[in-house]
Amino acid sequence: MAAMKFIGKIWPRLYIAIAIVFFVAPLLSMARFAFQRIPMISLGKDNLFKRWTIDGLLTTLRDPEFSHSLSVSLKVAFFTVLVLLFLMVPTTLWVHLSAPRWRGVVETVTILPYVVPPIALVVGVSGTYRSIAPWFLASNYSLVPFYAILAMPFTFRSLDVGIKALDLRTLVDAAKSLGASSSRVMWNVLLPNLRTSLINAAFLTFTVVLGEFTIASLLLKRTLPMYMAEAQGSEPQGALGLGLLILVLTTILFTLVSIIRKKDSTSINVKNINVGMVP
Amino acid sequence: MALAGISSLGQSDPKGGSHTRTPLQRFQLPVKFKPIGLIPFFGFVGLFLVWPAFSLFRLAIQPTKNSDISAMREAITGDYLDSFIYTIKLSLLTALLGVLLGSLLAASVLRIERPKWFRNFMTSFAGVAANLGGIPLAFAFIAALGTQGLITKMIDYFGVNLSDAGFRISNFAGITIVYLYFQIPLMFLIMVPAFNGLRAAWSEAAASLGAAPWQYWRYVGLPLLTPALLGGFLLLFSNAFSAYATAYALSSGGARLVPVQIRFFLQGNTITGKDNLGYALAAWMIIIMLITMTGYLFVRRRAEKWQQ
Repeated sequence: MAAMKFIGKIWPRLYIAIAIVFFVAPLLSMARFAFQRIPMISLGKDNLFKRWTIDGLLTTLRDPEFSHSLSVSLKVAFFTVLVLLFLMVPTTLWVHLSAPRWRGVVETVTILPYVVPPIALVVGVSGTYRSIAPWFLASNYSLVPFYAILAMPFTFRSLDVGIKALDLRTLVDAAKSLGASSSRVMWNVLLPNLRTSLINAAFLTFTVVLGEFTIASLLLKRTLPMYMAEAQGSEPQGALGLGLLILVLTTILFTLVSIIRKKDSTSINVKNINVGMVP
Repeated sequence: MALAGISSLGQSDPKGGSHTRTPLQRFQLPVKFKPIGLIPFFGFVGLFLVWPAFSLFRLAIQPTKNSDISAMREAITGDYLDSFIYTIKLSLLTALLGVLLGSLLAASVLRIERPKWFRNFMTSFAGVAANLGGIPLAFAFIAALGTQGLITKMIDYFGVNLSDAGFRISNFAGITIVYLYFQIPLMFLIMVPAFNGLRAAWSEAAASLGAAPWQYWRYVGLPLLTPALLGGFLLLFSNAFSAYATAYALSSGGARLVPVQIRFFLQGNTITGKDNLGYALAAWMIIIMLITMTGYLFVRRRAEKWQQ
């Protein structure tokens, strides 16, 4: 019985330890490959800590092709976030304020991007737009609407959850009865209250766009992941170093978002606002 | 910020005298105009998602040149059928293993109460790992388990040669291991709230009525977790089924997975007159995803109904 108890106490720790090894080992291997100038064959105990360098990564970062692909990716990501929020914030608010009966329909439609895998979407896109509007697919910004589609499911969910946490009707009616115009209600009441949802959706969209490969590669756009995939052949150390750098930056971004989310979770409710308005 | 914005509304609005117009009415439209605000949304989705998806089906059922069977039929025969079976098998296996190992990980992490930051750390990490995919993930595993990988070399040191054993990072076993890297964390993220939803009072009640721990799990815990497990399984399946970038980078474009096969048709480096096959393969992918996601929505609706 005591042995059973001991096993019951020890197995979760053991299992977690194994899981951590599984998740960390590939990253460490990646780091070694990227930053150590010793081929695998001659790696042994005696030279394990020798010839570590970040030259490969630096070469890649200095490559003009890299900065070009980075700027393409950043621009596309920025406009995707913009388009997505301009489309989804009014839509979600409208669903909650004016057409609650349509919520189910809208929610189902926002899940549709999961039904059409990116590879199928891009095949359909080139089957339609290539013949009708070749100028559209020629532009780097043709990625924007399709990336907005990919980010739609979690953006809607994030906004929907944020709005449900508010007493939307009361907020709007209160602001209106105090004489605020519709745009003022939007900018001074609704958007500040939804900022956690907005930041959440924006950051997630940003990271998704920066990592997206399928659509960019089939539409032949020179985005960051495309650059990495090609650099693997010419400058493998730099490519892997860049991959690792992006992973680290993404992790930091995610951690920031979760910190913001935690800090904010107390301030999003109507009660606080009422208290603030009593005097 | 929100507080400041709202408390200033009452005092500083210059046209504060809108008491004559009732503001509530000003904001409401007659019922039949209600969906009007949704037109941009439906228009956007129609233009950039529904239209391309439907055209795909239209192009796929067009009669093919030099062939008496339609592309839709040809896409599920011979090598293409094998590709579909291969992809579905891989997706089923990674989903099953992901459900099992991810749920176990969630249960284990929830058992550990101290240090307090550990649980948050694991959740944040799972959030990153579940979204990891594509090129960097493939790079990491090539560096670890590729023929010249660090782990390959370490295992070789202990006398097991992976490539002699038939293991390649780009074959079935290899892709399965790589996909687990994002499948397990995804299931972890699904199961943590599900486990948290089980109240301590229920297991105490079962125990006080004389139930053994296994009886509690068999008759109370597991039935309550079923929607999360089933929904998670379907989500993981579709996640693996539609993945492309990782498999492409692992195999340098040579994998037998359907998504990787489609690429050949889009680039047009195949026998002429078979362009429709690319559309047909994509159309079949959508059909399989449609079935999976319908199942997922059904499970989720049932779970939501039960929670209310």
